[in-house]
Amino acid sequence: MAGKDVPSVQVILDIPELLARVENDRELLRELLEIFKQECPSLLRVLEEAVARQDMKSIEKTGHTLKGMFATLSASGAFSAASTLEHMGRHEEKAGLGEALIVLQSQVAALLGELDTCLG
Amino acid sequence: VKILIADDEPMARHLLQNILENAGYDVIAVDNGRLAAEHLCRPDGPRLALLDWVMPALDGPGVCRYVRKHRKHVYVHMVLLTSRESKQDVVAGLASGADDYLIKPVDPGELKARLLTGLRILQLEDNLVEARENMRFKATHDPLTSLLNRGVIMDLLSRELVRTHREKGSITILLGDLDHFKKVNDSHGHVVGDEVLREVARRLLSSVRSYDLVGRYGGEEFLVVLNNCNASNAFARAEEIRYAVARHPVETARGQLWVTMSLGVLPAGNLGPLPLEDILHEVDVALYAAKESGRNCTKLAAPKCLV
Repeated sequence: MAGKDVPSVQVILDIPELLARVENDRELLRELLEIFKQECPSLLRVLEEAVARQDMKSIEKTGHTLKGMFATLSASGAFSAASTLEHMGRHEEKAGLGEALIVLQSQVAALLGELDTCLG
Repeated sequence: VKILIADDEPMARHLLQNILENAGYDVIAVDNGRLAAEHLCRPDGPRLALLDWVMPALDGPGVCRYVRKHRKHVYVHMVLLTSRESKQDVVAGLASGADDYLIKPVDPGELKARLLTGLRILQLEDNLVEARENMRFKATHDPLTSLLNRGVIMDLLSRELVRTHREKGSITILLGDLDHFKKVNDSHGHVVGDEVLREVARRLLSSVRSYDLVGRYGGEEFLVVLNNCNASNAFARAEEIRYAVARHPVETARGQLWVTMSLGVLPAGNLGPLPLEDILHEVDVALYAAKESGRNCTKLAAPKCLV
């Protein structure tokens, strides 16, 4: 069932933790989410191309950047997925790159959906 | 307080900038290590910095090493931002010259508390530097007049004479002595005498250029070194200084007092590397001649007697 694969809302985005991080400044939160929505797609494209080329340096670097953004957003599922790709890039682990990317893509899709709800 | 944030990830940079601006910091935010190092090494650059570990051009530890090497006279408190996995690298980060580290994503409360610790360290450093500078000033200046003390002005004069000889430049030495100063002390007391000495010192300082030297040579004797002042200007400059001392009465607790100064002058640019004692003896002779001529006047030393 598709419902089983999609992470729960709490895992996608930890809103209370995120609000604490921005000191309950909802305007700042909105600005951060806008930056994320602007930056994330292009970074994901870079990562997809890097996986296709098996460019391990680029996978590590882009995975690291995405991981940092997900950490700031308290998006733990996406954070783990990006972290896995960064680790694989750093250690030149080519087996399973495609699967790891699919996990990340599904996490990001869920996250972007959740953010749209947040931004109203 | 100025603080630099260096992070190539725009969301983290925006978040940190907002938190710190709301906390009253004056934030400079950059997206790479090279720019961070440039800002931190400017003379008026920030003394607090938050540096992401992984950055293009130069990473966080690289910035720390660069700043420690190039900004030596002012301490910069640098905090590295690191992700959870790289915690094992913290030792390497601190070894690069960082003062502290924070795990990303940063908790706003912890961030502000750590920066306050940094500010306390910077304040402590400022206090130590100020204390050292006060001690240095006290060791080199006369406590009453705040002019250079005798030892220091003699030392500086020796160096200036060597430099002037080497560069074939010009230099003029003045020795001034307040006229009838003993009477001031005897008639009005030492407190008034001290007021007069302080005011004369102020007048001497305000009548020379920033690169000239003024020192207290003895009780009421003052030594003035005029750099780049040649023989043709020496007498006129000495007269200007004598006039600056005598032009207005000195305001004291006992009312206004008129004071004058006698001066001996020696243009010493082309004298060669003579012993300082010989040079000062000749200025002293000229000063004595001024006293013998009725005081409140200037007498030129005769340099030929030194050659």
